[in-house]
Amino acid sequence: MNILETKGLYHNFKGLEVLFDVNLQVREGERLALIGPNGAGKTTLFNVITGNYHASHGQVFFKGKEVTKLTPHQLTRIGMGRSFQITSTFARLTAFQNIRQAVLSKNKIRFQMLKKLDKMQKITKETDEILKRINLDEQRNIPAGMLSYGKHRALEISMALATNPDLIMLDEPTAGMSRDETHTAVELIRKLTEGKTVVIIEHDMDVVFSLADRITVLHYGQILASGPPAEIRENQAVKDAYLGELEY
Amino acid sequence: MRTKLFNWILWGLVIILLAILPKLTNYYYLNLFLAFVIYSLYAVTLNLLLGYMGVLSFGHAMFFGTGAYTVALVLKHIEAIPLLPTILAGGLAAGLLAVILSPLLVRVSGTAFAMLTLAFSQLIFVAALKYREVTGGEDGIGITNIPPLKFFGIVSVDMTDKINFYYFAVIFVALCLLLLWYYTKTPFGSLIVGIRDNALRMDYLGFNLSHTRAINLIVSGTFAGLAGAVHALLMKLVSTVGVLDIGTCFKPLMMAYIGGVGSFFGPILGSGILHLLEDTVIKFTDRIGLVNGAIFVLVVLFAPQGLIGLFNTLKAKWFPKEKVS
Amino acid sequence: MSPTTVLYVAQALHGLAYGMLLFLIASGLTLIFGMMGILNIAHASFAMLAAYFCFSVMKLTGNFWAALVIAPVIAGFIGVLTERFLLRPVHKHGHLAELLITVGIMTLILEIVKLFWGTESLVVKIPENLNGLIRFAGLTYPVYRVFIIGLSVVVLGFMALILFKTRLGKIVQAAVSDAEMVSSLGINTPLVFMLVFGIGIWLAGVAGAVAGPLLTVFPGMADQLGMDAFVVVVVGGFGSLLGAFVVALFLGELNAYGIQFIPRLAPVLMFAFMALVLAFKPMGLFGERE
Repeated sequence: MNILETKGLYHNFKGLEVLFDVNLQVREGERLALIGPNGAGKTTLFNVITGNYHASHGQVFFKGKEVTKLTPHQLTRIGMGRSFQITSTFARLTAFQNIRQAVLSKNKIRFQMLKKLDKMQKITKETDEILKRINLDEQRNIPAGMLSYGKHRALEISMALATNPDLIMLDEPTAGMSRDETHTAVELIRKLTEGKTVVIIEHDMDVVFSLADRITVLHYGQILASGPPAEIRENQAVKDAYLGELEY
Repeated sequence: MRTKLFNWILWGLVIILLAILPKLTNYYYLNLFLAFVIYSLYAVTLNLLLGYMGVLSFGHAMFFGTGAYTVALVLKHIEAIPLLPTILAGGLAAGLLAVILSPLLVRVSGTAFAMLTLAFSQLIFVAALKYREVTGGEDGIGITNIPPLKFFGIVSVDMTDKINFYYFAVIFVALCLLLLWYYTKTPFGSLIVGIRDNALRMDYLGFNLSHTRAINLIVSGTFAGLAGAVHALLMKLVSTVGVLDIGTCFKPLMMAYIGGVGSFFGPILGSGILHLLEDTVIKFTDRIGLVNGAIFVLVVLFAPQGLIGLFNTLKAKWFPKEKVS
Repeated sequence: MSPTTVLYVAQALHGLAYGMLLFLIASGLTLIFGMMGILNIAHASFAMLAAYFCFSVMKLTGNFWAALVIAPVIAGFIGVLTERFLLRPVHKHGHLAELLITVGIMTLILEIVKLFWGTESLVVKIPENLNGLIRFAGLTYPVYRVFIIGLSVVVLGFMALILFKTRLGKIVQAAVSDAEMVSSLGINTPLVFMLVFGIGIWLAGVAGAVAGPLLTVFPGMADQLGMDAFVVVVVGGFGSLLGAFVVALFLGELNAYGIQFIPRLAPVLMFAFMALVLAFKPMGLFGERE
């Protein structure tokens, strides 16, 4: 069954067509990599699916329901999570406070004005558990903006995961990372997304081929090909458009 | 544990000082102190928006003034209304104004928010100035009959007595401040800070930004209205210049900024400094505005986190804590 | 012309004169906003400052024309200094700090004016040849107001020349539509900012100086002019000269006819209109940028 599906999705930005009849299918439980050259519209597609932008034409279906017009917070509440290409955390808040915001959301605590947050043991415990799982327990009280790049990215990804989404959309989780950091991040993603549906935008082909069950190639706002990694690797059109460039 | 004990002792001393203050000083200083207390609350409500949510209300006097005018009008038109309902009416009216404006105000931030609040406050200012049959125009409305404070119809405390009014006002404002302090410590308080730092992320975490912003706006407006209500009773006069004009919009802003917008207590410190300064400067020159303005400019230039921020920076510099990597 | 027509025409001219003054102030305000992203709350305070300078220079030299030239230049120079020593240092703290510092500057100018010139209204005497009345087809109209309209047109024509014919003008135009582009082109932005700020203040200064004889010079002048200019920029659209022009004239006329026919409603309407525009088109009627 498809957990996410787009039908004839168009998006134009200042008169420029960025997405062009995109029909994307994501099956429940799979790990789908979305690849394509820069400017292919991958992040735009993420923004349209997650409700940050609205499609100029076409529909988005999530868990069988149409969600084209929903906003990010509505989509998050029905189980969609998203991380950003450019790290987007609360820079002045500590790592602990960052994760805690997400834990509050997961526990549907949105208008609680009667209890002191520090006294809510359950929230604190849950937050600390997450910090431990992502190896950030030592950096618990450091402002997010002062974390090392790798740790900051890990925080970014885990905030998207802390709301416990069914579909996780990761926008270049390893962008700007060193080889070692990338390796750690991939292991972390694998560990944290066990048994979940993941859509991941990625440039690093090693990451793509090690993580993804299936690959969809986006090119000039259109889907060029879709299939298992081995098939995509051999696909001539993809090679011409994209993979060829990578081998410099 | 030691800091906790220290805090208890500190607060104990503050309470004792507040209790014996009327014995220590004359009516002039008592009034000055009450003005400081009331403006502290007003500046804190502004900081709920500025420091906590990251939007600048350029027209906060509309809430303060609405509270003040409501009290004056209620006392003028409704006979024998007790004290607390009068003041609460002021808060409620200001809160209602915030409710009405919130659908428009939550859509904008940055410069647009500042401009929109300024526009609405000017609108209300001009309306209050022009519709004099209701508001008394420039002359305003005098308050001659401060009602007594009644508990369950048994105890009745005379509020025309200055000392009684002092105790009442201090306790009332202190309770408001306590409530607001608690409010900033709740989960909801942390959501507001989240919106300040990264609204998009908050949206993606599943929080409804508009509702969260609107509620904080209403809380801020309501309490600003309560401050205005008590202020009206202290001054016994409500006129446009004094509760609604642009000066009344900027005053809490200066206080919050001078004290420090990054801390709950910053605006209170700022209010204290400006009131103390006013009393000191006036002995030498009546150019109090010049001194205030200069201090404000200096703070914005050199200590953007206010005096509390400056203090923390210096403390960290001179007494560095053990570095954690 | 019938007496009623005369009244209408006279009011229309009043409105035009005030509208042009507003546009002089608002054009600088909107350029500064478009270029630097700063809404200069103190803008009209500089206009007021120029009015006071005009009064003093006039008193010293007895020459109105000299005062009219010198006062705005001094104001503009102070504007340049303000940009250099007050605005530029807080630029790194973001727009909120910039907005706040202009609030501080507004307070300081008001207090300085009170300190040096007192709180009384001061009267600037205009030369004999501007003091007369024009008679035309049954209409009698003060020469000075016609002079204001004429001068504004000349100044604005001069501005248009700078904006459309010089390198600085091209940079300003580019910056208003795309601020990032200018810095990426390697243009000395701090210098351009300083110049634009100075010219903006100079424009306000011209308006303040010529407005002196019309409104009398008093410490509340900045509030009156400032609020109106502010409405012009907000409603017309941040950074839009065309918008500022249209709204300034409209506001001038609203002011003139409003005082005549709906004295109480006119100012309320003005702010209500501004609030509505802001609420539904936060960048103003002619504003393009988000």
